[in-house]
Amino acid sequence: MKSDSGDNQIQQRWARVRGYLRRECGDAAFRSWLKPLTLVGMRGSELRMAVPTRFMRDWVATHYGVRLLELWQIETKDILTVEVIVDPGRSEHSSADATGGDATRPAEPAPVPPVSPSEPGRAGSDLVLSGLDARCTFDNFVVGKPNEFAYAAAQRVSEAGAVPFNPLFLYGGVGLGKTHLMHAIAWAIRRRAPDRRVIYLSAERFTVLFVRAIKEKDVMAFKDVFRNVDVLMVDDLQFIVGKESTQEEFFHTFNALVDQGRQVVLSADRSPSDLEGIEERLKSRLAWGLVADIHPTTYELRLGILQSKAEQAKFEVPPKVLEFLADKITSNVRELEGALVRLAHDLQFVGGVITLETAQEILHDLLRASDRRVTIEEIQKRVAEHYNIKLSDMHSARRARAVARPRQVAMYLSKQLTSRSLPEIGRKFGRDHTTVMHAVKKVEELTSIDNGFAEDLDLLRRMLEG
Amino acid sequence: MSAAPELQLVIDLPHRTAASREDFLVAACNRAAVAWIDRWPDWPQPALGVHGPAGCGKTHLARVWQARAGAVQVDANDVGAAAVAGARHVLIDFDADATLPRSAERGLLHLYNRLREERGHLLLCHREAPARWPTELPDLASRLSAMPAAAIADPDDSLLAAVLVKQFADRQVAVAADLIEFLVRHMERSFVAARTLVAALDNAALSRRRPVTIPLAREVLAAIAGERQA
Repeated sequence: MKSDSGDNQIQQRWARVRGYLRRECGDAAFRSWLKPLTLVGMRGSELRMAVPTRFMRDWVATHYGVRLLELWQIETKDILTVEVIVDPGRSEHSSADATGGDATRPAEPAPVPPVSPSEPGRAGSDLVLSGLDARCTFDNFVVGKPNEFAYAAAQRVSEAGAVPFNPLFLYGGVGLGKTHLMHAIAWAIRRRAPDRRVIYLSAERFTVLFVRAIKEKDVMAFKDVFRNVDVLMVDDLQFIVGKESTQEEFFHTFNALVDQGRQVVLSADRSPSDLEGIEERLKSRLAWGLVADIHPTTYELRLGILQSKAEQAKFEVPPKVLEFLADKITSNVRELEGALVRLAHDLQFVGGVITLETAQEILHDLLRASDRRVTIEEIQKRVAEHYNIKLSDMHSARRARAVARPRQVAMYLSKQLTSRSLPEIGRKFGRDHTTVMHAVKKVEELTSIDNGFAEDLDLLRRMLEG
Repeated sequence: MSAAPELQLVIDLPHRTAASREDFLVAACNRAAVAWIDRWPDWPQPALGVHGPAGCGKTHLARVWQARAGAVQVDANDVGAAAVAGARHVLIDFDADATLPRSAERGLLHLYNRLREERGHLLLCHREAPARWPTELPDLASRLSAMPAAAIADPDDSLLAAVLVKQFADRQVAVAADLIEFLVRHMERSFVAARTLVAALDNAALSRRRPVTIPLAREVLAAIAGERQA
């Protein structure tokens, strides 16, 4: 059992957490979503909090769950998880007695009519924040020919007090920056007009929430949230295809917002007319506003992106490596940036400087479709060619240095590049495993004293692996 | 068994594998993967791929991370359910030759997106680097290609020796240093071969009631080589 002072302490902590949340999220969001949160109590390392409806629980858990836990953990390290449960019996008024004895009372599962937060119609404000990537701003977006139109349109939307075009429909292939632009719009609106209520979410999440709302007979609250925003942004609209009732609901939401002069921003991997499986009437409305496409990147844009990202990360990469990446990784920006991140981190682990060779090695899975498994026969053939000796000399009894050295090199490479046992390698050279071990030792000695030999060996290895 | 009545029947009792971070053998071939796991939660992206040949220690590393992150392991076939809601950190550790089913591609994409939004993490362990998975869904393919991937390569001699010692220790079999040296010189030099060999040696020693020695090892290696040729 907790003592009274324990209860007091946790209440004080909750008061502080609430204070932070109010400041961080703004009054409107706080009133809608966080004020109704009540403290249930601790159960082991789990802190339980309650909200009156399931729909609210989902919103709070999705959008504020992480932050809530972080704030609680600032207060006390004892809390490892924060669980938000549904308890229609509780309201903010009962929060005063919200600890201790009834912590184990099971949450009421029965669906309830939506309990409107204190200010009906203000729900949903600022929901956007937790899912947004802080790095995705307009400043960090590298503009070039292929994306300048979409960029300009996105900026226009974020600046406007009035709605310039509705909807803004951004489309383009994967990883070209649609989501980046949407996040940038949200950040910019938040900075310029913190009062505007913005929701950003993926079409997939829209579907999940809608299906759940239907199941839990909570559709009114769902509609309430989505039809009372100033800006609605739905990403990856192609994922709504084929989901009829979600599509229907989206259509009504969309119409309601457009009719009220609220901004809608949508993205998809193809243009509205190419979205198969979407009703014609929705298709045509999607194209009413401005449709802006993002084209595949050009070499110049890719190089510009790499230079800008490397500079931001204070990551020194030789221009030759950046040019190589811009040339090789052409599919999309996400992979391009991913490659740079991988280079930066792998180098931290292994040390050294970045060169064209290290870059190729670190990114080999990306640059090459598969790793070939080299065979001993291939090694023998390549090495014989390289040193200009006959292939048969690889297993002949001749001991002249002109053939013995290449043979040792081939044995060494067979050990390095295959997982064959030493006796097996020996057999392929008509020798036993001790000869292989001797060859390996000899080659290692030579590489440490003879730079030219070492480079030669490295060249052979690369040729065989490449 | 009738052919060799003097042999004792060996029941393959599961031995307990030491699988904490301290039990993991760090060497050149797995240093990057270990470094990635050790630096969690400081990962630049929501997901990490760890890939390498069978028996290279992917699952061991995955367990270490799972315990540290409090992650939930999800079967690739059930990834759709995990995508909608659930754990903040997720582990998908593919069995030997398993691949991501086509039907799970969408689920994995949405799981990735959810974890990115919730600042969670996903660890994918597979034979092959995620960038090389044959993926149909372009949105998923680009995420798989962009995520950091740490490769575990075939072991060098010293790691191979250490792996043998550890696997004998897991089975509580005491072996001499010269035996290990003998094995490293004569066996196929891969993780999976080490595992097969130690199991075969342990079985042979138990069934013949003989200690694990070089002569026994020679017999077992010959038998394994014979099986491979057959």
